[in-house]
Amino acid sequence: MTEEFSIIGKNLIRKDDIEKVKGQARYTPDTQLPVSIVGKSVVRKDAIEKVKGQARYIPDIQLPAMLHAKFLRSPYAHARIKSIDTSKAEALPGVKCVLTHQNVPKVHPLRKFEYLIDDTVHHPGEEVAAVAALTPEIAEEALKLIEVEYEVLPAVFNLEEAMKPGAPLAHQEYGTNIYHGTDLSHIPRLDKDGWLRLEVGDVGKGFTEADYILDGTCESPIQYNCSPMPRAVVCEWAGDKLTCWADTQLPLMLWQDLASSFGIPQSDVRLICNYAVGGYGGKKPEKTATLTAILAKRTGRPVKTVFSRAEDFIGTHHRISYKNYNKIGVKKDGTITAMYSRIIANWGSDTPEPYVCQGSALVHACTMMYEWQNSKVETCGVLTNILGYGAMNGFGDPEAIISIERIIDEAAEKIDMDPVEFRFKNCMRYGDKAMEWHQVVYGPIEWGILGPDMDSFPELIQKCAEKAQWKIKWKGWRTPVSIEGNKKKGIGIAIGQHHTQFFPCSAIVKMNQDGTANVLSGAVEMGQGYATAVAQVVAETLGIRYEDVNPTLADTAATPAYFGNVASAGTSSAVNATKLAAEEVKRKLLELAAPRLNASAEDLEARDGNIWVKGTNNKVPIADICFTNFQVTGTANNPPLTAIRDEKTGKVIHPYAAAATIAEVEVDTETGQVEVIRITSAHDSGRTINPVICENQIDLGLTMANGWARTEEYIIDSKTGVLMNPNLLDYKLLTFLDIPKDDDLQRIVVERPCAWGPYGAKGMSETSMTALAPAIANAIYNAIGVRVYDGSLTAENVLRAIEKAQKRQ
Amino acid sequence: MTMKTLVLKVNGVEYELKVRVTATLAEVLREELGLIGTKIMCNEGECGACTVLVNGRPVLSCMTLAIEAENKDILTIEGLADPATGDLHPIQKAFVERSGMQCGVCTSGMILTAKALLDENHDPSEDDIRNALSGNLCRCGNYRRITECVLAAAEKMRGGGGND
Repeated sequence: MTEEFSIIGKNLIRKDDIEKVKGQARYTPDTQLPVSIVGKSVVRKDAIEKVKGQARYIPDIQLPAMLHAKFLRSPYAHARIKSIDTSKAEALPGVKCVLTHQNVPKVHPLRKFEYLIDDTVHHPGEEVAAVAALTPEIAEEALKLIEVEYEVLPAVFNLEEAMKPGAPLAHQEYGTNIYHGTDLSHIPRLDKDGWLRLEVGDVGKGFTEADYILDGTCESPIQYNCSPMPRAVVCEWAGDKLTCWADTQLPLMLWQDLASSFGIPQSDVRLICNYAVGGYGGKKPEKTATLTAILAKRTGRPVKTVFSRAEDFIGTHHRISYKNYNKIGVKKDGTITAMYSRIIANWGSDTPEPYVCQGSALVHACTMMYEWQNSKVETCGVLTNILGYGAMNGFGDPEAIISIERIIDEAAEKIDMDPVEFRFKNCMRYGDKAMEWHQVVYGPIEWGILGPDMDSFPELIQKCAEKAQWKIKWKGWRTPVSIEGNKKKGIGIAIGQHHTQFFPCSAIVKMNQDGTANVLSGAVEMGQGYATAVAQVVAETLGIRYEDVNPTLADTAATPAYFGNVASAGTSSAVNATKLAAEEVKRKLLELAAPRLNASAEDLEARDGNIWVKGTNNKVPIADICFTNFQVTGTANNPPLTAIRDEKTGKVIHPYAAAATIAEVEVDTETGQVEVIRITSAHDSGRTINPVICENQIDLGLTMANGWARTEEYIIDSKTGVLMNPNLLDYKLLTFLDIPKDDDLQRIVVERPCAWGPYGAKGMSETSMTALAPAIANAIYNAIGVRVYDGSLTAENVLRAIEKAQKRQ
Repeated sequence: MTMKTLVLKVNGVEYELKVRVTATLAEVLREELGLIGTKIMCNEGECGACTVLVNGRPVLSCMTLAIEAENKDILTIEGLADPATGDLHPIQKAFVERSGMQCGVCTSGMILTAKALLDENHDPSEDDIRNALSGNLCRCGNYRRITECVLAAAEKMRGGGGND
């Protein structure tokens, strides 16, 4: 009796799978796939240990003789350390080691401006000393005994201030506040004035062809990542070999950083990253790992660092903030003739990822998202003395889209076109130009296209509108859905998109003697469901049970290195590599089974835990093959992106995903309070591997965008640069009570298989962050006829905008 | 550093411990007893991740001194499964079957707070659940999914599911 094995849908081998592995993929748009394919929502690989409290995260690691590290942090935004005296701290019983700029190597961590601990600090909260002691309490006491004399330097926090001639320099030796690269970090396509630019067509001509030109500014708010686990790392040396347990999404960078900081081979550094906890972008311990490793080396004992929540607020990173300016030219028939965007970004004091955000925005949001023929976008990065930005969900796109989607709404209103129709008409789709963010930063500028999977975009908009009952609720511009006393209900739409990068990636699948499999992958399970997706795909490919596949993840001693679970690349890149490795194993199994079945490998297939001669009952269990051939292992690498080409045009297909979100709000015009009462959001997955996990990822982006738009105010004191609310009472995450109830939260997933990912699946997680915030803003406009551009959509700001509008009337 | 000897009853077992008088219950559970299932997300009483049940009531263990918890019945996530058979509690099962977690850090607190609710209210409405869990933050945004899990568990328990 055969078991049902459709783990991600019907078992299939795509026509183009073999070509892809050979690096010669030509995507066939009419690839026949079974019609009603829905992936199975199998139980997560990590579910049981998480509900039993057995999942061991970095702060849960306890090693014999382990010490605890704490950091002394500067109260000043910009200061030179005139003197630092650690003698009293070192004398405290239980203190084993104290580090300052005087006794740590002068190496550059991932953020390139300063050394590990520098003699000058550039943001409030920057480390000036590190202590390792027997207990966290003793380490805290020791911090109080460290005597530091600071020379406070002039600081700048605000974008406009920082760009004025004669402004205080965020980094005094740098000479300017406009970032233009460093010795260690070169941005080839930056113009001499420090601006990065991208131009397509002729915007000047485009604007002359417009019937209407509109423009406006919008500053996107900073947001704190707020990983549920604050930054934590454990380091231990055995001789001259280092083991580091790190809560990170980016193993490769950290691995390289540790090896180069100590001047030791990567082969002597073992980095273990389970369980990581979502940082929602860019989570890595950065110099904290190196400092912890130095403490471990000097004391000869394992050392654990766990940040407090306040420390995590001020000592890690946050979402970049853009000051956007957009100018759009539109015709009465809804054609967009030109688009100009200018983005000035507040970088804070430094970043490990220069220009990734803005590179993304330039290509994705400002040039690709709507198929405008004429566009120009320019951006620069401004250094200030607040905490430097890092990666956060959407990484460069939501910050631009929050502005673009408002001006798009204004343009639609100007020509009195339904905003859903306007977006449906103009959104990017199959065949439109596409490129990678790094091409705009590093070159070359060579446009490829979006693949057939991106014909999902108009479909998403349509399905979203249908589900949200747009035609019933939308009564026209400036006409609320309903009014009840002070309370006005409005509805608004926005769209979004983001890449899902196709990275180089390797994976190993190793068969065990009993016919089960371990998958060795350098990517990280941080809650997004990576381990589950891998097991589903590999089981599907090998024809064995999901329960019989166990991923071994993110251990550099055993798994091939992987850049990181970022750029929504997990499904597209890392899972894909495991599928290719599984295919390699399957080929070997078929070859080994052939003589036993008196057949040739081409006549065999893997299914239900057996190798079968196709069309017969002749079979041999995979477990038998593995028992007698216990070295069956498959290794594979992803083909390069340039191998993924469109059959019709031969152009490279670039990997993207899209979103359409409709929000309904209720605004209390007396208090300014905004409630989001209904969210309908449509996304494309290529091919959904696990529907429930996919929905969970959508919920993540929606909740985060909702909080970003309305409640998560990141309040920096304008005089000192100090973060005023580094705690979870005053920095307001959404709670159960802030989410739409029951059927008022609708997620729609559209599947159009992509050219590059496993079984046509692609990553889409960050995309769910890109559309809701502007949809809420647009819904508020529909409710109260006032556009709120400044700051978060808090009651205070909405009320202020209402009052301002009333004064004008 | 003043130390005190005390007896804590955790998951039905009595432990004699010598702890700092300033030690929180969360610290003692995690560091002294190795019960790492109680998670610390803020350590300031703002997020609910460290929730344990003390005499059946949800309590923020990071805001409770260990010495305050003497002579009380403490239940952590590790104590929820059936002690005889190891079977998961219906709430745990619902979270497993419906993917009620992503990163998992809020999970222990969510499950225990839900248990306190369901032990008192066998047929909670969606509003009851949202209110009871309003002190538990989930940065991964799984509020809707967690609500579904608790509703499903409640239905199972009403059907005489118990610990099966």
